[in-house]
Amino acid sequence: MLELIDLTRRYGDVVALDSLSFSVAPGQLFGFVGPNGAGKTTAMRIVLGVLEPDGGSVRWNGGPIDLATRARFGYMPEERGLYPKMRVRDQLVYLAELHGMPPAVADRSAGEWIERLGLSGREGDRVEQLSLGNQQRVQVAAALVHEPDLLVLDVPFSGLDPVGVDVMSGVLSDIAARGVPCVFSSHQLELVERLCEAVAIIKDGRLVASGTVEELRERGADRRRVRVAVEADRHDWLAAVPGAEHLDDGPRGTLVALADGTPPERVLDAARAAGTVSYFSLERPTLTDLFRAAVAA
Amino acid sequence: MSDYHGVTGRRAVSLVARREITTRGREKGFLISTGVSLAIVALIVVLPQLLGFGGTETYDVGVTNRAAVPVAEAAQRGAKAFDAEIDWHRVTPAQGASQLASGDLDAVLDGRRIRAQEEPDDALINALQAADREVRVAAALQRAGVEGQALSDVLSAPALAVSTVEAVDDERDRKGNFAFVAVIFLYGQLLTFGYLVASGVVEEKSSRVVEILLSSVRPRELLAGKVIGLGLLGLAQLLLIAVVGLGLAMALGALDVDGDILVAAALALAWFVLGYAFYSCAFACAGALVPRQEELQSATLPLTLVILVSFFLSFAVLDDPSGTLAVVTSFLPMSAPMVMPPRIALGEAPAWQVIGAILVTAGSAIALIPLAGRIYSGAVLRTGSAIKLRDAWRAARS
Repeated sequence: MLELIDLTRRYGDVVALDSLSFSVAPGQLFGFVGPNGAGKTTAMRIVLGVLEPDGGSVRWNGGPIDLATRARFGYMPEERGLYPKMRVRDQLVYLAELHGMPPAVADRSAGEWIERLGLSGREGDRVEQLSLGNQQRVQVAAALVHEPDLLVLDVPFSGLDPVGVDVMSGVLSDIAARGVPCVFSSHQLELVERLCEAVAIIKDGRLVASGTVEELRERGADRRRVRVAVEADRHDWLAAVPGAEHLDDGPRGTLVALADGTPPERVLDAARAAGTVSYFSLERPTLTDLFRAAVAA
Repeated sequence: MSDYHGVTGRRAVSLVARREITTRGREKGFLISTGVSLAIVALIVVLPQLLGFGGTETYDVGVTNRAAVPVAEAAQRGAKAFDAEIDWHRVTPAQGASQLASGDLDAVLDGRRIRAQEEPDDALINALQAADREVRVAAALQRAGVEGQALSDVLSAPALAVSTVEAVDDERDRKGNFAFVAVIFLYGQLLTFGYLVASGVVEEKSSRVVEILLSSVRPRELLAGKVIGLGLLGLAQLLLIAVVGLGLAMALGALDVDGDILVAAALALAWFVLGYAFYSCAFACAGALVPRQEELQSATLPLTLVILVSFFLSFAVLDDPSGTLAVVTSFLPMSAPMVMPPRIALGEAPAWQVIGAILVTAGSAIALIPLAGRIYSGAVLRTGSAIKLRDAWRAARS
């Protein structure tokens, strides 16, 4: 269990983190989202000890974190970092050994991750000779090669093609299934919604929402919504339904918000009375909707 | 999950050092620079032998008239005193002119004149002038009636004996040459490996790999490993150059490699270690303060200048190895590593000065290491823009 407790950090006059607290349970895939400059990278750097907080603390399994504990963490920084001129396999073995793996184990583990991430045949190349996508894979391997107990990844999906996204999703799910908590930041909210059990949304260094996506839905969206597509002569058919509010017209139809006490069938009935209904569905708020609402507040 | 629990500080330092040695040591640039250094030291040893520097020079002189023959003969006899050897033969004025032009002759003795294509060497002129005086003195003495034994007593009187208050070191010139070469290589090595430390720090900073490294090792350990690894590499390279250089010099007879020279060479290597310890920490800080390789030149300029000035000072010291300048610069940690080795090689550094200089330089390096560690820690993660020294110092404190 990873706990961030009241983390505060300033850069000069700029407050990067303001009493940020949340926790990540064992085996949890945890999405860390927020607008640019919200403090995600700062928080992750503090967890990895790369940065000192001005206040607050980070705890791992109930205790403080020292260098030996931290050697058991895997980290992928936002600004990708590898030795450009070092060969892929040498680099992974070196990083594994720096994290405390015995040489033979480090070598075996490097080989396994090279294969797993589709880098076979490239292990002797210098990192700078690889395509960006492959560099990204090496970066992932660098975070995983020492079999960490906690994974912290800063925007791991950025720059990946759809195949890369699938590989990365698979790897993260596997790691989490082994009981290793994985925290990752991302701006791809559909992906976060699909992968993560829990999320934290931060803005200006403060936590604005956290919990499972379901919990956020219950708390965040105060009105149910339906989307309906209808071929009608008149456009004011919705006016006949009390408690229904027209939100927008999308390609899939009109989005309607319902007041408490207005059942969705009333909208359907009115639509059918007005013309031919080709689409009708209850719209659950997406993480993107929740994010917009939380950040706008 | 596994149960590896990080590395000890010493293991971290040795891992970092080993990476520096294996990756840098295999780089093409390093191998090329080693080859070039070996070629240079071989040239320094072999070239003077080929060109005959320091030995006797041979001159060809043409003689156009019979009257000048005794002068040429006397010059041939007396040339040795001028570190020269003179061959002469009769030529017609036309032959003389054409052989001067073609370079077959160095000078033509034409009556009371010396003709040459360009300004002739002093040794040749002096030998010819002295020969001319000798011939005229002999003629004058003969006219005055001095003849036979008396005449030859005057003309071939033994040369003045030379005696010095201080003992003359026959090997002094050769030791001076050794010291000169040692200074050049120490200068090159300190500058190269200092700069390698700085650019290695910037490489980690600009590629951001430092962020991953510092989540598993302390900044101090990273700094120590880098400095030690590159230092060992530099020392090994210097050792190779010394062995090849001294070996060649011994094989060709250019230098009498005795115990004194070997001790001087070993001390020069030791001074590299001291000088490198002093400079590398400073170079690491300079590297930590800038975000990109492009800015490294300007950040290391002050250090480069200090090394360059020390280099020039060491030449001044080579001329006067026991003067005030020599003693003062021996006790400054920035110049001692380049000033002391030539003084030691020339036998001009008293033991107390050697020990004192070692203590001052080693002490300064030891004092500098924690300062450098702190500045490095404060600066190495700030990747956005160049950092002021003061800010780095403060950042490390918090």
